[in-house]
Amino acid sequence: MFSWIDEGKSAESAKDRLTIAIMSDRDNINFPFMDEMKIEIMQVVQKYLGVKTVEIKKEIDGDYEALSIEIELDKKQIS
Amino acid sequence: MGIVIAVISGKGGVGKTTTTANIGLGMALKKQKIIVVDFDIGQRNLDMVLGLENRVVFDIVQVMDEEVSLKQAVIKSKRSDNLHFLAASQTKDKSVLESEKVKKLIADLKEEYDYVILDAPAGIEGGYEHTVEFADEAIIVVNPEVSSIRDADRAIGILDSKSQRVKDGKEVRKYLIINRINPAMVQNGGMLSSSDILDILSIPLLGKIPEDKGVVDASNQGNPIITNTKSASGQAYSRISARLCGEKVDLYDIEAIKKGLLKKFSGVFR
Repeated sequence: MFSWIDEGKSAESAKDRLTIAIMSDRDNINFPFMDEMKIEIMQVVQKYLGVKTVEIKKEIDGDYEALSIEIELDKKQIS
Repeated sequence: MGIVIAVISGKGGVGKTTTTANIGLGMALKKQKIIVVDFDIGQRNLDMVLGLENRVVFDIVQVMDEEVSLKQAVIKSKRSDNLHFLAASQTKDKSVLESEKVKKLIADLKEEYDYVILDAPAGIEGGYEHTVEFADEAIIVVNPEVSSIRDADRAIGILDSKSQRVKDGKEVRKYLIINRINPAMVQNGGMLSSSDILDILSIPLLGKIPEDKGVVDASNQGNPIITNTKSASGQAYSRISARLCGEKVDLYDIEAIKKGLLKKFSGVFR
């Protein structure tokens, strides 16, 4: 249940959520090839292992930028 | 040589057309020669907000197709001799726009007017892209609301990727108008404040407009709210128009005013 105190205090969560959503939107514009790259990575790994999903995340920490690629394997195809 | 300003928002219904009409009239009243152009092909609305719907004979598509001259299609406002209007086509759709034709039309308008103000369609598709392609500056209208701000950010991204000025290595100046601010809600933390929005979008602020029921009434009558000097939003549009004309007008912090007091003091602050 939301009390009346919580009500009307939503601006902060709006700001936090928007900041994250817009950062990821901007990445998609700056890296329009991202989806294509995902598919290609998937194809390479799939030659050797079963793949369920490929997730690419961008991390920025000051001047340091990195892509982390997370590949979820498909258990059924491994065994 | 005139300046082309595109009024954009991404999301529909945030007050693009109202803003176009009001700043168009506001700048015309400041002795600038203005034309406002409805680029929302197929969904003509600026004519009604300006109260000129009965005067529309020819539209922008007929001008671009050279069926009629610019002179024949341009309508003069009854409220200012300096304000002119070019209507969107109501029968065609956005696919009729072609870069070359838009380029020529805008070049012709720049010859004739001090400011060419383009009312962009909502969305980020072809019709929008053609509106921003040859713009020198852009006014981004947002409401203090997540969907509006996110869509505006997307629209800004597309503006930079489609703009001829950007391709030429120049910059499209951008200004933000925050519309429909509810000061009481901002004060109790229930609505994004203008400083929150500026943090997220990082675009210079052109003005803040309070939520005002009078705007609907004004559109109902085809009489832009800026003509109502007692209205808080009308006054906000006047200040914005003055800033666009190069006057130094301090930002007026509508969010700091308490409900009720806003009304009391609205005559004091100009």
